[in-house]
Amino acid sequence: MYRARHNFLVGARLCLAIALLLQGCTAKRRAAGSVQIRWAHDPENLDPMAMANQTAIDAINLLNCSLLQVDFATNQFAPALAEALPTVQLLGDSLMRLHYTLRPEAAWDNGRPVLATDVAFTLKLMFCPGLPNTGPSSQYRFIRDILVDPHYPRRFTLVCTSQSVENVQASGDFFILPEAALDPKGELRAFSLAALQRHVAAAPSPAVLQALARRYAAASPGQTPARLPGCGPYQLVKWEKDRYLSFQRKAHWWADRVRSRPLALQARPARLEYAIIPDPATASLALQRGDIDVFPQMPPREFKRLRQTPAARAALNFYTTASYDVVTAGFNTRHPALSDALTRQALGRCFDAAGLLQGSELGEGQRTVGLISPADRLNYNNKLVLLPFDLAGAVALLRQAGWQRGTSVAAGWQRLSAQGPQQLRLTMRYRTDEPLFATVALQFQAAAASIGVPVSLQPTEAGAFTVALHNGEFDVYVRALRGNPFMFNFTSILHSQAIGAGNTTGFGTPESDRLIEAIAAASTVPHRAQLLHRFQALMQQQMPLVPLFFRSNHLVAQKRLTSLHPTSLKPGFAAMAIGEAVPSTSP
Amino acid sequence: MARLLFWRLLRTALAVWALASGVFLLSRLEGSTAVELAQPDPAELRVAGAAATPAARQALDEATRHRLGLDIPLFYVGTHPVAATTADRWHWNGVPNQYHKWLSEVVRGRLGTSFRTGESVGGRLQQALRFTLPLTGTAAALAVVFALLLAQRLAARPGWHRPVRGALVALQALPLFVIALGLLLLFANPATLAWFPSYGLEQAIDADVDEGSRLGSYLWHLALPVAALTLSALPELTLQLTAALEQELGSQYATTARAKGLGERAIISHHALRNALLPSLAQLAELLPALVAGAVVVEVAFALPGMGRLLAEAAAARDFPVLVGSVLLVGTARLLALLITDLLARWADPRIRWQQ
Repeated sequence: MYRARHNFLVGARLCLAIALLLQGCTAKRRAAGSVQIRWAHDPENLDPMAMANQTAIDAINLLNCSLLQVDFATNQFAPALAEALPTVQLLGDSLMRLHYTLRPEAAWDNGRPVLATDVAFTLKLMFCPGLPNTGPSSQYRFIRDILVDPHYPRRFTLVCTSQSVENVQASGDFFILPEAALDPKGELRAFSLAALQRHVAAAPSPAVLQALARRYAAASPGQTPARLPGCGPYQLVKWEKDRYLSFQRKAHWWADRVRSRPLALQARPARLEYAIIPDPATASLALQRGDIDVFPQMPPREFKRLRQTPAARAALNFYTTASYDVVTAGFNTRHPALSDALTRQALGRCFDAAGLLQGSELGEGQRTVGLISPADRLNYNNKLVLLPFDLAGAVALLRQAGWQRGTSVAAGWQRLSAQGPQQLRLTMRYRTDEPLFATVALQFQAAAASIGVPVSLQPTEAGAFTVALHNGEFDVYVRALRGNPFMFNFTSILHSQAIGAGNTTGFGTPESDRLIEAIAAASTVPHRAQLLHRFQALMQQQMPLVPLFFRSNHLVAQKRLTSLHPTSLKPGFAAMAIGEAVPSTSP
Repeated sequence: MARLLFWRLLRTALAVWALASGVFLLSRLEGSTAVELAQPDPAELRVAGAAATPAARQALDEATRHRLGLDIPLFYVGTHPVAATTADRWHWNGVPNQYHKWLSEVVRGRLGTSFRTGESVGGRLQQALRFTLPLTGTAAALAVVFALLLAQRLAARPGWHRPVRGALVALQALPLFVIALGLLLLFANPATLAWFPSYGLEQAIDADVDEGSRLGSYLWHLALPVAALTLSALPELTLQLTAALEQELGSQYATTARAKGLGERAIISHHALRNALLPSLAQLAELLPALVAGAVVVEVAFALPGMGRLLAEAAAARDFPVLVGSVLLVGTARLLALLITDLLARWADPRIRWQQ
């Protein structure tokens, strides 16, 4: 017995010694100027045409440049490859020309200058058949032509079929690709942008375009971006799928020669390492151990817990910003029981937005009257009143809508319509991958049940949820809509012509359609703000959607890091601007 | 024996083909979801000029369907409605169909390309197995060794039986994610013991480190995930083997051995163990497909890029080529495991050989 215990103790000590030895020998060493950032998932595809997800966009942003890029200090578009914001020339009542000039310093990795022909090539590539360009081909259709200045190869004009303010910004928000690398003979120049836009997907494409598509596929920019010269500040050194991506700062980047560089053209870390850590608890431990430096979009509970820990407070900085992600409930207005605004208003009062905000975001998000963020003071309609959690009001509105409560509790609410008797009985869909949606659904179910409206919940897997929404297989749904402060085009989600496409609620009236079109076409910011105020009022009155609250962004970083520029825009901070505080030398 | 093996292998190959074909055809019924998920995210608000009409949306869907190879018929035969009012009519689609294309590629050893990334599925599986096999293989080997040692000790010392069995049953009741998170919070947490790293394998940041340090770092990173998997597999193996050993030790040949003066350990190792192993062989065979399929919970908790994560993410994103390729691999492993179990059972129990 004694011998066994002795053996066990010796073994345990040996294991401990080995563990400590291993730890001592292999503690993570950090390259100077390196910053480690946590990503929840792999970008999967770094193709600038595909831009598969937010992490992919962040990565592509390091390798490539666009004409305009967001300045995280001001949350405004700022010139990047372009020398200045475009000058706008309105033509008639529906066209506009945008005049751009590229920076003289702008150059590809191989030293060739970035020219207007590269911009023209990239625009044409967006409509070239056989490429993974479904996203940009629908987004940039408003640019109908590009006119390259024959006398100055860095100057060009975009001809747009819209005079909208947001299209001025969108016109410069795409990554420019090198023509010389993909089309060395300039064969695509024979095709006009308009001709490519007219090309029908099913029609056979000319041999030149097929050859170009093959060259593009062979270059495989999605998997091996280093094969194409870029004009961004970093190059991809290593990419281990589902593990990490490592980016090295270029020793001689063209923007280093630009005088008074804007924030959008700063690239300070010598190395950026993105570690793929799916589980937030694991990522939090890695942050506390110093294995990673930045943890963006930390879950609110973990953020709060960590902020209350003295050791974490001593080593880490905590930032909270408002986000443009709005948690929204939607009604299927094609459902006869939900086709009238009064019923929708009544059901909208069954959401306890304040309680949900407190419970899920720990009070750090913002309630809202509509889809515009309250942080956007110009466009947010602060004259509207926040929708109250008011069950008595909901009952009164249901009665106004013609509903009558049955004699028994089980009978629920009924009304007679031209199509026959209707019963208010709802199914609610939500995605299972985020607990917040389940919380909202359960709260709504309980509140609706207390006024006699039965709600059955349908937790749905993310892919099936997208299809169910597209097919209108729901009465009520909950999801988060991701916005930004630049685009206010609601056509794809609320215009009647988008029913069957992106308008999942099936809502659309002539008045709302006119307003949405006017917002999308507004050529001045004050006029657009005025229209947006009216739009928010109309949506609150019609209530096809119930915007509950805007979520908050939580960012945690090591104390030695400076100039993170925490922002409401994704990814929540400026990775390329991060600097390191000089360690104190005082004794 | 060789003839038997040949026929069993042939049956296994046919079963694998049937399994993969079934998964292929069933998965393609979800083709519209794959197309839907390949479109720009509908929750992304206010994208200028996003496909806003059903016609524009349909054009996008068709382009995506063409790119993914979903625009040709699924199988050699199919149905299509002749008119809105009439019933569907069977129709011969001919050779250019998705199934034929896929099968021709599989026969040539190519599993297709991923819908999401455009990478070859074979390469993707190879990459995932490179991380999964050392993890699950080490865990399985450790679990088997510890189960053998523990079961023999418990059978030899019945006094320890009750507390150890209680502990093993309690361990078995714990879900794997609890074990993984428990280990992380205990041994990779600066607030308790930060002995082991919290995630990943060795990072390739330090190109100048020598092979010894690299191996040390690799083992150090693998310690907690392997421990989690070993702890989760250990109770089932140990409890089964202990029960079987106890039964064998109560049998007459064990009593005879005792009467001859043999010690308990000798009886176990020389007589009882081989007989007691028979039911455990099926459990051991179960480990083989698990080796290949990976352990999604542990891979997520420790941020390891293995087969489990690949399979789960492919299913969620409707990346059918990766999904079908993975099922083909795991299915093959499972069917081979069944074959190996049968062969091992024949080795362990002569009665099976005599019966045949």
